[in-house]
Amino acid sequence: MTGCIICIGNRFVAADAAGPAVFDRLREMVLPQGVDLVEGGLAGLNLLPFLENGGRVVFVDAVCGFAGPGEMVLLTEREITGTTSQVHYDHGAGLPYVLAVLPQVADGEPPEEIFLVGLEGECSMETIDQAARLSIAVAANGLMGSG
Amino acid sequence: MVKTTKGMNIPLNRAEGDLEIRVEIEDGVVTEAWSAGTMFRGFEAMMQGRGARDGLVMTPRICGICSLTHLTAAALALDAIAGVTPPDNAHRLRNIALMIETIQSDIRQAVLMFMVDFANKKAYGSHPLSEEAQARYGALSGRTAIETIRESKRLLQVVAIIGGQWPHTSFMVPGGVTSSPDISKILQCRMIIDGFRAWYERTILGCSIARWQEIVSVDDLYAWLLEKEAHRESEVGFFLRFAKHAGLDTFGRGPNRFLSYGNYPLPQATAVSGQGARLTRAGYAVGTEVFPFMPGKIAEDISHSWYEQNGEPLHPFSGRTKPYASGQSGRLYSWIKAPRYDGEVVETGPLAEMVIDGNPLFCEMIEREGPSVMVRELARLVRPAGLLTPMTTWVDELLAASNDSFYHPVKAIPDGEGAGLIQAARGALGHWVKVEDEKIAHYQIITPSAWNGSPRDGQGRRGAWEEALIGTPIRDIDNPVEAGHVVRSFDPCLVCAVHCLDKGGGKGGLRIGPGR
Repeated sequence: MTGCIICIGNRFVAADAAGPAVFDRLREMVLPQGVDLVEGGLAGLNLLPFLENGGRVVFVDAVCGFAGPGEMVLLTEREITGTTSQVHYDHGAGLPYVLAVLPQVADGEPPEEIFLVGLEGECSMETIDQAARLSIAVAANGLMGSG
Repeated sequence: MVKTTKGMNIPLNRAEGDLEIRVEIEDGVVTEAWSAGTMFRGFEAMMQGRGARDGLVMTPRICGICSLTHLTAAALALDAIAGVTPPDNAHRLRNIALMIETIQSDIRQAVLMFMVDFANKKAYGSHPLSEEAQARYGALSGRTAIETIRESKRLLQVVAIIGGQWPHTSFMVPGGVTSSPDISKILQCRMIIDGFRAWYERTILGCSIARWQEIVSVDDLYAWLLEKEAHRESEVGFFLRFAKHAGLDTFGRGPNRFLSYGNYPLPQATAVSGQGARLTRAGYAVGTEVFPFMPGKIAEDISHSWYEQNGEPLHPFSGRTKPYASGQSGRLYSWIKAPRYDGEVVETGPLAEMVIDGNPLFCEMIEREGPSVMVRELARLVRPAGLLTPMTTWVDELLAASNDSFYHPVKAIPDGEGAGLIQAARGALGHWVKVEDEKIAHYQIITPSAWNGSPRDGQGRRGAWEEALIGTPIRDIDNPVEAGHVVRSFDPCLVCAVHCLDKGGGKGGLRIGPGR
C-alpha cells in the first residue's frame, strides 16, 4: 500500500509552523519506497487530489488541546472529524471540512486510512524529529498492519 | 431611539479568523463601522536581504487561495526590473493559470461562502425560497455546494499540469515560465476546461456563455430571467430571485469609486482582444466615469494602523512597515494599512473590473441604483463567463505554437525597481520591489483586501467595506446576517490563520487559511 505524508500549516506564522518544520525535517530523511511527501501549506480544499489515490494519508499539523505543550499526538480519522463542528467552508476551511465532503466529491479512490500527527504548542527540534519519524512509520505501516 | 454598539467579530469569524468588525446600530440600522485586521503579517520585512528571486518562492505561500496571484505579481515585478518581455507562450500559460485560480475562487466564494447564508434558517426561514436554498447550499450536503467543490477541484488540475507541481508551484520566473507542456498535456488542459465550461453554463448560468453575453441592460437581464425555466433555476437565476426578495440590492453601497490594475497581458500574436495590451482594462472610476490608471497615485496611509507613524502617506516604493502597537489607544485599530488612490477610498474586485471594462449591464446597474451587495456578488458569479472563452483561445494557440519559446533567459537580476500589478480574484494586487546587489532591498505588497478592508485614513474617511456597512438594516442583532452579506460581498481574505485542530471544537477548527 502507498502512503502520503501531507504537512500542513503556515511557515510564516510561528504558532502554525509545526507542519512545515516536520516537512523540512522529512526532506532530510530517506523515505521508504511508496511513501510520498507533500508540503500542503495552506491549501485546504486544494488538497483533495491527494485524497483520491487510496492508500494511507498522514497529515502533520499543529493541534490545540490534545496534549501538553511541546508534545505530540497521533489521531485517527474518526478523532479528527469528531473534534470540531465546522460545517462551513471559509478561507480557513480545515481538515474536518475536507474530510466531511471527501466521500461526495472524490473522483478516485478515497484513502483506506487517514491519520493526523499533531504537534501541540511550541515544539523542540527533538519533537519535530520524533513527529517526522512517526509520520514515516504510520505512512509505511498504518495501524491495520497490512504492510 | 435604540443605540447599540456591537462587536460582530464572532459571526464573521466563520469567514475570516483575523478580521473583526465592530458596528454601531441605531434603530436597527448600522450607523458606524470599524474593520480591524488583527494579525501583523510582516512579509515586507521578511523579504529584505533575501535573494532577488526569493519572492517567487515565498510570496505564493502567503495565501492558500491566491498562491498563483502572488506568484504572478512577483514574476511581473522581476520582469520589469530585468527589462524582459516574456514570449507569447509564457504569457498564455501564466494567464491560463491565473484565470483558473480566479474562476475557482469566484465560484467557491459565491456558493460556499456567500450563498450558503441563504440557507441560514434563522435569518431566511420565512423567505419563499428558503427550502430550495437549503437544498442547494446546505452545509456539507447542498447540491450546488458539493458540485462546486467537485468541479473546482477538477479545474485546478490544469494548474498542476502546466505548473508541474501542486500545491505551491513557482513555474513563473522572470523571462517566462519553467514548463513547456507537450501537446498531450495541453490537450488534457483543453478537456478539463471544456468539462468545466459545460458545467458552468449548465449549472451557474443556465445558458451558453454567448447567450449570457447578449445581456447588455437591466431590462435584458430580467427578460432573460423570465425567458426560460433553465435561466430561473440556474445559480445566477436563483441568486437574482433570492437576493431581490431579500433586499440585497438596497444596501452595501460603499465608496462608489473603483480601481482595477487591469489583467492578463495579451500575447503579441493572439486572437484575443483587449484594452491597453491587457484583456481587462486598468482604470480608476468615479461611479461609471473611468479615468486612466496612474500607479504613482497610490499611497498608503497609516494614520489609523498599528505602525510607526511617519507623516504623510507614502507610495509603496517608499513605504515602510514598522509595527508599533502601543500608545494612541483607540485611534489605531488595525494591522491593515489604508491604501488610497489619489487620496480617495476605492473598491476593487470583480465589480470594479466590470465598471472599468465598461460592461453595459453593470454600468447601468451602478448608474440606476448604485453599488450594492447584490450587484457586487453578481459580478463575481458571472465573471468566469468573460474568462473562459479567452482561456480556451489561448489553449488552442498553445497547441498551434507548442514548439515556440516559453522562456527568454534572464541570467541575473540587475539593480533596479519594478512593480507587478495584477487583478487577483479579490481585486488589485501589487508587489513593489527594489533590488540591489541581487538582493531584495525593498518589498511592499498591497493586497485587494487592504484596499477593501482598510481602516480610516488621515482625513477620517472609512475604508471601502466600513463605508458599505453604513445604512445596512439589521433585523436581528443576534444574527446580523445582513452585515455578513456586506462584508462577504467583497470576499474578504485577511487570514493566514493560526490554525490548529481545537479539541474544544466550534470556533477554532483546523484552519488552513490563506492571505490577507
